Amino acid sequence: MNFDWSVIWTHRSALLEGAALTVGLTVLTMLLAVPGGIVLALMRLSSNKLARSASLAFVEFFRNLPLILVIYWAFYVMPMAFNVQFSPITTALVALVLNVSAYNAETFRAGINSIRKGQMEAALAIGMSRRQAMFKVVIPQAARRILPVIASTWVSLFKDTSLVSVIAVGELAYTAMQIRAQTFRVLEMLTAMAALYWLMGYPQAKLVDWIHRKYGVKE
Amino acid sequence: MEFDFSPIADNWRFFAGGLGVTVALSIISAVTSILAGLFIALLRLYGPGWLRPVLVFYIDSMRAIPVLVVLVWIYFAVPLITGMSFPPFWAALLALTLHIAAYAAEVIRAGIESIRPGQTRAALALGMSRAQLLRKVLLPQATIRMLPAFGSILTIAIKDTAIATVIAVPELMHRAETVAGQSYRPVEVFTAVMLAYFCILFPVTRLVDRLYQRVAHMGRS
Repeated sequence: MNFDWSVIWTHRSALLEGAALTVGLTVLTMLLAVPGGIVLALMRLSSNKLARSASLAFVEFFRNLPLILVIYWAFYVMPMAFNVQFSPITTALVALVLNVSAYNAETFRAGINSIRKGQMEAALAIGMSRRQAMFKVVIPQAARRILPVIASTWVSLFKDTSLVSVIAVGELAYTAMQIRAQTFRVLEMLTAMAALYWLMGYPQAKLVDWIHRKYGVKE
Repeated sequence: MEFDFSPIADNWRFFAGGLGVTVALSIISAVTSILAGLFIALLRLYGPGWLRPVLVFYIDSMRAIPVLVVLVWIYFAVPLITGMSFPPFWAALLALTLHIAAYAAEVIRAGIESIRPGQTRAALALGMSRAQLLRKVLLPQATIRMLPAFGSILTIAIKDTAIATVIAVPELMHRAETVAGQSYRPVEVFTAVMLAYFCILFPVTRLVDRLYQRVAHMGRS
């Protein structure tokens, strides 16, 4: 058996572009899914019954589906529902944001609920409005507890972006598998793909451990 | 816009078979992952010192690499090195176990470490061997605390089996792709399959939530 590892070097620019898109997708999804999660969490905690049940239904639905299925579904349903063709990247972004927003909503809700009731009551007692009490007292405290969980979600999201390769978004997994199909260098390309994910993911996993040690809630 | 759900009705046996594969693959891989995770956790806690960095490296690597990458690597690359190839189902089982066992190992290690050291000292003072200590004192208490986490591992396994479609394991997701392609009714097919997945996963996550509430106060020493 002979392996030709030079194929990785010849395709380095394509692989690096794929890796860049993987990182870009992760960043963009998180930028959209954090506000999305906050909105869903506030809806869930609001006194409006309709908002509460809408948020609950959304969160439970998307938390209980395999992401790869949501990606396929968005790919076929979005063009039909809106009568416009979306680019694969837009579709991928929508699917990822739907999924991660649902997880973030639970994280934010749990974080806000973990702040003792007395804090809210005290803020109201000194004359703050509910909105002020929420944004000036509760959320800043909850943020510290939420950070480690968001960091874990970040790493999961980074890995999950590989799934959008099924709708031909040219990120790292898709690029590597395309080169594999063109060059027939299966072992070399798949190993390069795994190594690149490892190189990017390993420091992130370690960073998350550090954040958990520094900020994690200790009983 | 017209919907035609007849491809689902016409192929219900095909889908039911896929559902069976999904359920079988996810339950088997959850069980093998928990067993492998237990083995890894015990080796990490009580095994020889040189083994610890190796296991930590394995666990952290699995946290860094997507399950998709592990799946295609096991299925396409391993046969090239070893000269022996697995059928898709077994390749998926191997890859999922390899991936999820790392999480299970962390859960089990945390579960064992959460038992107060006083329990260990008391057991050793009574003259128990290390094996007895584990079997009679630590694992029974830790298992109760870990039950909800084992449930989460099952939900992860169910969701991850859908990714096994990329190596053509004939589970529900893969059969949905097949029927969607043949019938030109992807919207109806994927929507129906989405509901099917939700119906499997939702009861499991509810059960996990209930377990967390039930078990939260138990075994707290």
